[in-house]
Amino acid sequence: MILHIAKKEIHHNLTTLRFALMIILLPVLFVANALIYSLGTGGYTDRINDYNGQVRQNRRHITEQANISLAELALRGPGDIPKRPSRLIFCAGGVDEVVSRSIKLRNDGSISRSSGVEDEDYAWRHPLSLEYKVVSSGSNSTGRVKINWVFIGVLMSFFTILFTFDAIAGERMRGTLSLIMSNTVSRGQVLLGKYLGAFVTVFLPLVMGVLMNLLVVLLIGGIPFDGSDWLCILGMVGLFALLVSIFIFLGLFFSSRVSNAITSLVWLLLTWVFLAFVFPSLLGIFVGNLNPIPSVDEISMRRRAQLDHIEAQWQREPEKKLRKSPAIERPAVVRLWATYFTEISDTETQIADGHIDQQLQQVQLARDLTQISPIATFQYAMEGLANTSIVGYMDFVKQARRYRQTFVDFIKAEDQSDPESLHIYPVKEGLSQKPVDPNAVPVFSEQISYRSVLSQVSLLVLFNLLFFIMAQVSFLMGEVK
Amino acid sequence: MPILWLVIQREFVSNVLTSRFMIGFIVCVFSTAVAVFVQMDDYEKRLAGYNTAVREAEAEAREWDLYVDIKPQAHRKPNPLSIFNLGTENDGANTVTVELGKPIFEFISTIWGAPTQKRGSDNPFLAMFLSVDVVFIFKIVLSALAILFAYNTISGEREDGTLKLVLSNSIPRDTVVLGKYLGGMLSLFPIVLVSLIVALLIAVSSPVTGFDGNDIAHIILIFGVSLFYVSTWYLLGLLLSVWTKEAATTLILSMFIWVVLTSVHANVVTFAVDKLSPYQSQPEGAFLQPAFDVWDEFKRERDAYVKQRGYDDLRASITWEPETSSTGLGSNSYTGGYFRLRRYSVPSVDKADTSIFQELLGYQERLRSEYAGKAEKILNKPAEERERDAKFADALSRISFADVYHFAVGAIAGTDRQSYNGFIEDARAYKREIVEFLKDKEAFSSRAWFSTDKGTADLADLPVFKHKRLSLSESFARASMDILILLAWNILLFMTAYVSFLQYDMS
Repeated sequence: MILHIAKKEIHHNLTTLRFALMIILLPVLFVANALIYSLGTGGYTDRINDYNGQVRQNRRHITEQANISLAELALRGPGDIPKRPSRLIFCAGGVDEVVSRSIKLRNDGSISRSSGVEDEDYAWRHPLSLEYKVVSSGSNSTGRVKINWVFIGVLMSFFTILFTFDAIAGERMRGTLSLIMSNTVSRGQVLLGKYLGAFVTVFLPLVMGVLMNLLVVLLIGGIPFDGSDWLCILGMVGLFALLVSIFIFLGLFFSSRVSNAITSLVWLLLTWVFLAFVFPSLLGIFVGNLNPIPSVDEISMRRRAQLDHIEAQWQREPEKKLRKSPAIERPAVVRLWATYFTEISDTETQIADGHIDQQLQQVQLARDLTQISPIATFQYAMEGLANTSIVGYMDFVKQARRYRQTFVDFIKAEDQSDPESLHIYPVKEGLSQKPVDPNAVPVFSEQISYRSVLSQVSLLVLFNLLFFIMAQVSFLMGEVK
Repeated sequence: MPILWLVIQREFVSNVLTSRFMIGFIVCVFSTAVAVFVQMDDYEKRLAGYNTAVREAEAEAREWDLYVDIKPQAHRKPNPLSIFNLGTENDGANTVTVELGKPIFEFISTIWGAPTQKRGSDNPFLAMFLSVDVVFIFKIVLSALAILFAYNTISGEREDGTLKLVLSNSIPRDTVVLGKYLGGMLSLFPIVLVSLIVALLIAVSSPVTGFDGNDIAHIILIFGVSLFYVSTWYLLGLLLSVWTKEAATTLILSMFIWVVLTSVHANVVTFAVDKLSPYQSQPEGAFLQPAFDVWDEFKRERDAYVKQRGYDDLRASITWEPETSSTGLGSNSYTGGYFRLRRYSVPSVDKADTSIFQELLGYQERLRSEYAGKAEKILNKPAEERERDAKFADALSRISFADVYHFAVGAIAGTDRQSYNGFIEDARAYKREIVEFLKDKEAFSSRAWFSTDKGTADLADLPVFKHKRLSLSESFARASMDILILLAWNILLFMTAYVSFLQYDMS
């Protein structure tokens, strides 16, 4: 019986104007998305070329330094840490369109001091610290809506509303609802039939659109998908299904709650506008501003003040602790310089890491709260699967930090095997002056984790259950006439 | 006339009594209030940041005692109307540093020491959230309401059978259309008005906003344009209602058009133009080399002058030794495509006869500011290309009247891209003013350009960057094209609905 109702519903839907309109708009958007990302600048090809260039450059840099000496490598570092561009950026742009694609290993040029006394002249480099660049100034493209799968998903939820607003209220108005109910069919079955009918009507064109999109991307864009990408795409289709399903239940809820189809549409439309635009954005900005964090200017002022304080202690009269320049014959002096460098590096790291952590936490709080809207949850889950989410970026930051530590550990371990070295990191004179095998130097490789998506998926399932129960209860309690 | 009034009244009452009116009213007022609240908070922050920046710049200015030191800044003052329409307020640079040899230009990629800076952005990640303001709410929610009011005006009555009854009276058809239009607008009017009043009340209640008469006038103009916009949507709904036989079809069709015009069209166009720029543009880095070449030319021209004046052999002809100091005359550094001279340091300047040095500087610094202009022309090209792309996208977006409304309000509020470009232009004008000031003072060839031993620089009347706010008529003139387009849409839709209804087949 359910299938019968579903079939009737599908037949009815297929002949409607809204279906025709949807079937026109969906492929247009999907193909437009594929074409824009395949042909346009800043697409995957550009990004992966940048990335590969960066990786090659790092490799060359490491080889050059390692062939000179371990000390040189230790001071110059392994180069910037690039984030591998997502192949699925056309599905969900996420934070990848905001943050820079690599974390800079800050390494200011060499600093020197000269006082005319031979023992005091010295040129050095500050030890490595990570620098996170977020958005380039003067760019006006942030915050603009990107035409990707997420956007299409939002539109799909709108179309779902158009298919369900009169599913029950309409039948009630026409009087056909009482006819259906006069059969030996339970209300639950009617609801489920309606649900299935609407689901198939919306979801099949969507899947077709996705296929067309992928075809264009594969043929024109030439993006080489691997197994995990296909799994992610499959996951995204699943997310589409969850989102569509939520809005069908929502539509059925209002449709059975309200006697008039138009009132149901008004409610649904406003709910949709709220869930899609107003609510996530306003709440996001509001929560973001709720616990203010120091501005970029304040941070850079603080940094300058602290570094200045260290400089005064170590380099400037009257305290000036670093009178002599480090040399292999003067281990005590080398040790003193090491303390100085470590202090600078710790300060830099503490400030930079602390700042980006605060920023990310603020966004994450805003993000967590906006998940009250299923559309926002859907967006975050899509971004999670495309590995362009803020959580993915946080993971990347953590891995970059770990890599920095691995690199330092490697230097220290290599240094230990050289008996002539003083074993004092991070002073050039305190480290081994022998070349190292470039292939032994650890290379950064990013581990992608999809764990964060799980919470969003379960949230979406929860929304489904909630709205299902709401629709069910309201239909069970609703009047037939 | 009484018949028209009757039709209006009937339409008004039948609208106001519906649940959609109540729901729409509450939602519109509520979301407007929340949007104003959030945007006001944001504005307060921007204002605080601006005030701090200005204070810091003033403190810094007090330290200057050489002409060569002066580095005045132009700060973009937060626009109080951004509470209603955020626009580009949070985008782009808000501080421009004016230096003699520094061209004013904007690159997307960060350049160390770039003249245009964005200060005080707390968390760029928050830019991921869409900016929702009153105009956004109006653009989306009010348009939906207008359609929901209009979709069944004709086709609904036809279905109910009341249209025949209405027309069987001695009411001309044109009166019916006009009455229905005016009645619908009359029922939408209180929603727009109350939302705006609530927004205004919240905004005025905060001590920081400080609206003046000019601002209020602008807000009233925004209100007027919003009414125009709502009217366009209402007329579209009315037209579709005449064209379709069933109210349900009208509704679906108008909802589809609504979602395409408000959410899909402009986004697709802007995004596509952004990614597939129709113009062949070079990467920004490609403009650096030509800018460097300009500075090479500058050096050649200066050296030629030095030679012509017979100071070829500076060392022999002047009384100090430029070479002995590490940062003496002629030492220079390139950064990001502009040219600057390091501080001139002349050993034992108080004893030196610096007249030739001064003469050379008088020539060189004037030349340097001219060449900065030349380099600026080159370095500004990426921004010009971006602007051309954006203009192209704007033109395509204007197909949708929802975006025409958006542009019109942005122009009135002074938060559109053009206003932002105006700020950069103002900063350039300010720089010219500074150069003129220095020329008037003959500062380039004065001793206070590089040394304080014979008196410090006279900076008492150094021009200060003044923020220009547009008057109502100027804003109106800027928005006039978009307002005219909205008007044209209104007339077109009304005429079409009118004619279609006159030919309406009742059978």
